[in-house]
Amino acid sequence: MSTVPPESSALLAEMCRHLSGLLAAGASRVTMAAGPVRLEVEGGGRPAAPAAVAPEPAAEPGLAVVAPLVGVFYRAPQPGAAPFVEVGDQVEPGQQVGIVEAMKLMNPVLAERAGRVTRIAADDGAPVEYEQPLLLLEPAGGEVG
Amino acid sequence: MFATVLIANRGEIALRVVRTCREMGIRTVVAHSTADRDSAAVRAADAAVQIGPAAPKGSYLSIPAVIEAARAAGAQAVHPGYGFLSEDADFAEVCAANDLVFIGPPPEVMARLGDKAAARREMASYGLPVLPGSAGTVNSLAEAAEVVDRIGYPVIIKAAAGGGGRGMSVVRSARELGRAYRATRAAAQAVFGDGRVYLERFCDQARHVEVQVLADRHGTVLHLGERDCSVQRRHQKLVEEAPAPNLPDALRAEMAAAAVAGARAAGYVGAGTFEFLVADDGFHFMEINCRIQVEHPVTEMVTGLDLVREQIRIAAGLPLKAGQHDVRPRGVALECRVNAEDPAREYAPAPGTLDEFVPPGGPFTRVDTHGYAGWRVTSDYDSLLAKVIVWAPDRLHAIARMRRALAEFRVAGRGVRTTIPALDRVLDEPDFIAGVHGTDLLSRMTQETP
Repeated sequence: MSTVPPESSALLAEMCRHLSGLLAAGASRVTMAAGPVRLEVEGGGRPAAPAAVAPEPAAEPGLAVVAPLVGVFYRAPQPGAAPFVEVGDQVEPGQQVGIVEAMKLMNPVLAERAGRVTRIAADDGAPVEYEQPLLLLEPAGGEVG
Repeated sequence: MFATVLIANRGEIALRVVRTCREMGIRTVVAHSTADRDSAAVRAADAAVQIGPAAPKGSYLSIPAVIEAARAAGAQAVHPGYGFLSEDADFAEVCAANDLVFIGPPPEVMARLGDKAAARREMASYGLPVLPGSAGTVNSLAEAAEVVDRIGYPVIIKAAAGGGGRGMSVVRSARELGRAYRATRAAAQAVFGDGRVYLERFCDQARHVEVQVLADRHGTVLHLGERDCSVQRRHQKLVEEAPAPNLPDALRAEMAAAAVAGARAAGYVGAGTFEFLVADDGFHFMEINCRIQVEHPVTEMVTGLDLVREQIRIAAGLPLKAGQHDVRPRGVALECRVNAEDPAREYAPAPGTLDEFVPPGGPFTRVDTHGYAGWRVTSDYDSLLAKVIVWAPDRLHAIARMRRALAEFRVAGRGVRTTIPALDRVLDEPDFIAGVHGTDLLSRMTQETP
């Protein structure tokens, strides 16, 4: 996308707002144009809201780090930053492994116990429900349950 | 019209709202706690979002959780049902700030009328008759004693933020006043987070009669007739009916006109209920309920209108289709609340798993319930299990039909008890059958049967 003239910044902001709405609704390819401003986004389709999908059952109690509240899950402290954890990382009890944003408040997600991350169960930026598994851990030292 | 409505409630009312939304072609998403994962409303809705733990504070009463659920669900509107956040003006404001339509009155109207002492003053200023009492809230025991000196005993102390029959004490002598004043303040602070109280004269044999109103955003205000809710236990309604029996037509019309005038003057929008006490000296305004009420089905049965549908249409900005002359209540409707309580043990909550749950059927019999065999009634929430509603051309026929319906209702499970035996006794009570009972009916019956 080319440089945007300053007078178009308000328009751009408005278009971005619409765009984020369309992406939130699940669109995977969006083209928007107005005057000198043209926006094209492909891919980036977001998963459907959890409302439409039953949450994964917490079938492995103690092994999943679950959402402490309903909101939007973020894997990193800010856009563009490195995620708090990746698959294969070892986490310690009390370590922050993500964020759930609810009404513009950033709520840290903490690991309750030690373990190695085996799977990231929720997508970055996706809405999550209360108690929805976010990460799966393999307990430290092969401990089970 | 809204494409998706989030239902921020549980139990029978959540299912009730799901049903009307489906009839209107609206997608429903139920916000629920962990305890309600398998509820009938969750099963019936198009989708569900788990918003928090069983304790309502973290789920049904959590404004951020409900708002996030609505956003995740892509909802345009939120139906709050009754109880929980239904009369929370802050919640309605937060909805608006998040581009969600709150299905209920405007927040500023709710805030004004939600303060019962202020609503009393406001309605008096519009010319509605109010019971003698304090001008507003009373701030000390001395002030309360001054009011009593003026109006005499018995009095009732009520929480300004009260509702649902909680935060009230009847005081019959000066000896009880101090303790009752302090206890009501403490209870109001604990239950509603607001310890302010006010005083009214208490009428022992009064009847509790309320008028249902509907008001749209285009200036139309209708009343849908009245309901008699005199059969109460500790200010909790057990049996409701429409119309109120043995009420002179002139009084009926006067009360309806007062409710419409009050709603219009207050700028009311949505479905609301004006509660009145009817005593020998006429009728007196008590409070306004800014929400759908538990007993709304009796009005639906006699008017043929779906009140939840009207609420949703009004919230969407549509004008009311009916005019006042189109509303012609017909016949008699009765509602009995079947609660998971043990009448033999002071109505103590009696929750448990419903091993058997067979609601009644038959002609002109409606059951609003979220119960099913296998459902576990928990003690986390109120004990309402089902509402049995019947309609008949006349009152005696309606009573007979209700007796028949309750006799059919089979509810069984370890530890589970219901109010059905108490309801049967009410239906056999001569004063009830004659339609001359007041709010003291149940307490008199309890004293008579040891």
